[in-house]
Amino acid sequence: MSDTIISRLRTLPPQDRRLVIALAIASLLALIIGLTGGLLTALVRAGFLNVLPESGYRYLSVHGVSAFFYWLYFAQAALVLGFSAVERGNGGGPTGLLRRSLASLGIGAMMLGFALGLVATVMGSPPLYDGNAELLADDPLTVLVFSAGYVLLGLGLMLVPASAIATLLSSLGRDRRKVLDALGFALLAWSGFLIVTGFAAIHAFLPSLLWSLGLADFPVGQETGWHILFHNLHYLPLMATVLVWYILMQALTGTKSVFGARFSKIVFSLYLVFVPPTSLYHMFLDPGLPEYVKVAGSVLSLFVSVPTLTAFLVIIASLEVHARAAGATGLFGWIRKLPWEHPATTAASVAVINMMLGISLAFVLIQEKLAPLLSDTFFVPGYFHFFTVGTVSLSLLAGLSVLLPGLTGRSLRMLSLLRILPWVASAGLLVFGGAGVIAGFMGVPRRVMDVSYGGEAPAFWSTLMALVGAGGVIMALALLAYAATLLASVVGRRGAHDSQGFVGLQWVTLPSGNTAAWTGPLSILVIAAAMYGFGAIGFELLQAVPVIATGTAGH
Amino acid sequence: MTEDILLLLGVASVWTLLAIGYAIAPWGDMIGYARVWGLGAALFFVVAALVWNAARQP
Repeated sequence: MSDTIISRLRTLPPQDRRLVIALAIASLLALIIGLTGGLLTALVRAGFLNVLPESGYRYLSVHGVSAFFYWLYFAQAALVLGFSAVERGNGGGPTGLLRRSLASLGIGAMMLGFALGLVATVMGSPPLYDGNAELLADDPLTVLVFSAGYVLLGLGLMLVPASAIATLLSSLGRDRRKVLDALGFALLAWSGFLIVTGFAAIHAFLPSLLWSLGLADFPVGQETGWHILFHNLHYLPLMATVLVWYILMQALTGTKSVFGARFSKIVFSLYLVFVPPTSLYHMFLDPGLPEYVKVAGSVLSLFVSVPTLTAFLVIIASLEVHARAAGATGLFGWIRKLPWEHPATTAASVAVINMMLGISLAFVLIQEKLAPLLSDTFFVPGYFHFFTVGTVSLSLLAGLSVLLPGLTGRSLRMLSLLRILPWVASAGLLVFGGAGVIAGFMGVPRRVMDVSYGGEAPAFWSTLMALVGAGGVIMALALLAYAATLLASVVGRRGAHDSQGFVGLQWVTLPSGNTAAWTGPLSILVIAAAMYGFGAIGFELLQAVPVIATGTAGH
Repeated sequence: MTEDILLLLGVASVWTLLAIGYAIAPWGDMIGYARVWGLGAALFFVVAALVWNAARQP
């Protein structure tokens, strides 16, 4: 058998497999719980489910804590740990984790944190996903349990990647290589960013934990700490998504970048260079921020898309060149050559389409003049689900659908269903996100459960929210089915074809030569046109809404 | 010095400058940003050193 990512997964020591599988199962359970909370929230917001507003906020808390935090970070921890253990054996040498005890401790902390987070969402006032201590000042027990959960999550996010870094370093030196492969460097950068995010979580929630224990003053600066953490929570999953695409490209087709490993490493590093400066745009609503800083924040925000789009170009161009070398013809004929028999191909491809939509809408929100007007409207959940669900979650599920069969030796169940579900989820997302973005432009607020305002609000608002609810239900059910199928593939009974794992294509041996690849550049043109279009529409619509006068004057 | 180390040092240097900038920024309470990006800068300096040490193992 040739030396591939998938073949190396099967050589991992049993104790490493158990750790990574435990993380993956935890991630899928967190996703299922989070989706259930999201489904109920969508039903309440659409007016399909009549409950007290507090119950709606409780569903939203479960959704935010489970889906936005624990699903995304359990899954990332599983992927970074699993693929680092495999990368250690790249080019010879043993596979497997180093500093396994750190990883075990970190996984334990994350699981305990998840349990505490869930308990906090049902015990007192709904803490939402940010656990704002000012809103929970009369409920210190909820603050205690909730903050302890996030502090433990942060601790886990520092310990698990530390094991991944130790593992990757062991592949260097002695009689082995002097530099990491592009994938190894990507995993190293990803691990580093995870550790920083873990620290940001502790930095944000340790003060409120200490206050709830009576050991410190009230955490007046918690909101700033939350903004720092929240900024990382925006971009870390996006970086993880692109790195998962890079891993999938190699695992499913054997393709490496046609631009070389060094260029890929530079692109991955750009994430780390551009993410911190862009945090300024979270302060656009701060009246004390000088105008020149706001303009600088807007400009810097544009840069954060550079590594995403460049990595996208690298992957698309590399796949196109190799597919053409394998005999593909026509402008888009190369797409038919991709390994569509593996459901990860569908999930990742749909994720790319959703990213193009999401990134176009994101450019509306990061404009300094539009951000204050849209930040508190339903535009925000409307657009960010294109990222969190349509791009990031589908990509992480794609990554897990490659990782888990390799670790368990069991084949994925219901392959046809897994190939269809990303499209169904995206159809629901299109309705949810489309209606949500329009609702945002119409001024529908995002933080209220009932937007009818006793019949005073425009009737169209309720129609839009009904569409949001319908789209949300489709999206959530499709992802629930996907997560449940993956889970069943891990913990269900062994199938008759379990020994016949997916082998993957081996395009790496094909001569790529000087083949032209136009799909990537054309896609960027489409994205640029869409960004311009959405921005122009946004300005036109907002100028037609009375609230603009207030917003502009206030700004 | 390998490309891995140069890139890691580049990231650490940018984060250091940012941490300093946030620490002395005249507007708002930005010290939290300085702490987080400063810790990140220190981390990437350490990782660069570890990569250098690992790569030169005989």
